Amino acid sequence: MAKGNDKVATGRRDFLKLAGVSAVTGTAAIAAGSAGAEAAAPVEGAAGYRETDHVKTYYKLAGF
Amino acid sequence: MGEARLALQITEEDMLRANVYRLLAHALRAGPSRADLDTFAGMTGDDTPIGKAVAALARVSSGTTPEEAAREFHDLFIGVGRGELVPYGSYYITGFLNEKPLARLRNDMARLGIARRDDVSEPEDNIAALCEMMAGLIMGDFDGAADLTEQKRFFNAHIGPWAKTFFTDLEGARSSVFYACIGQLGAAFMDVEEQAFSMV
Repeated sequence: MAKGNDKVATGRRDFLKLAGVSAVTGTAAIAAGSAGAEAAAPVEGAAGYRETDHVKTYYKLAGF
Repeated sequence: MGEARLALQITEEDMLRANVYRLLAHALRAGPSRADLDTFAGMTGDDTPIGKAVAALARVSSGTTPEEAAREFHDLFIGVGRGELVPYGSYYITGFLNEKPLARLRNDMARLGIARRDDVSEPEDNIAALCEMMAGLIMGDFDGAADLTEQKRFFNAHIGPWAKTFFTDLEGARSSVFYACIGQLGAAFMDVEEQAFSMV
């Protein structure tokens, strides 16, 4: 990050520190768990999201 | 990929942001497993809106079974005919699926080197997919490393305009108990993201 932005970056980091985001913990286990369950054929550079059941249902009902 | 991570010099606060996005993405993609609920149940929160939401999530997760959460997920997003909520940006912004907001998202995804998996056919503007993309942008998982300016642009274009409303709807949905906590957390986090990006 450029030097001129340091002050802005610090203000933002301080804000985030106080915002409680550190309360969310243990998501590494979640991510690892889902990757293990879904790692059929990971595509380089691709977000690993999957078709979810509600969309399948929507498509079915919408007659696509 | 590794070089992008190094070049970005991801701060601890940003890794924590990615954690929140990952949790939201994971919970909104499908109902949580027993292990997921145990993980959520072990979290503690402070007196901030996010901390309170996490504390509520922990409390409710400890008393929720995967079957109950799966039923909620079904009622909220699948339903009979349609779920209670339709978790897509295009739908929230225009009232219809697959409209211009989705086209704009696809353009940005191409520019940022994000691709939908070959085996996926659902629209990319699903809330879970967008949360996953934000986590990936923060952590430099894609070809185009995203600094804060790029993250802000992506957030303001594709998430900011509707996600808070969606999470608030989720919090208040008739079928929500476990998912009310996910909604509460998501809404509180969207407020924080919006404020933090205003400092960039």
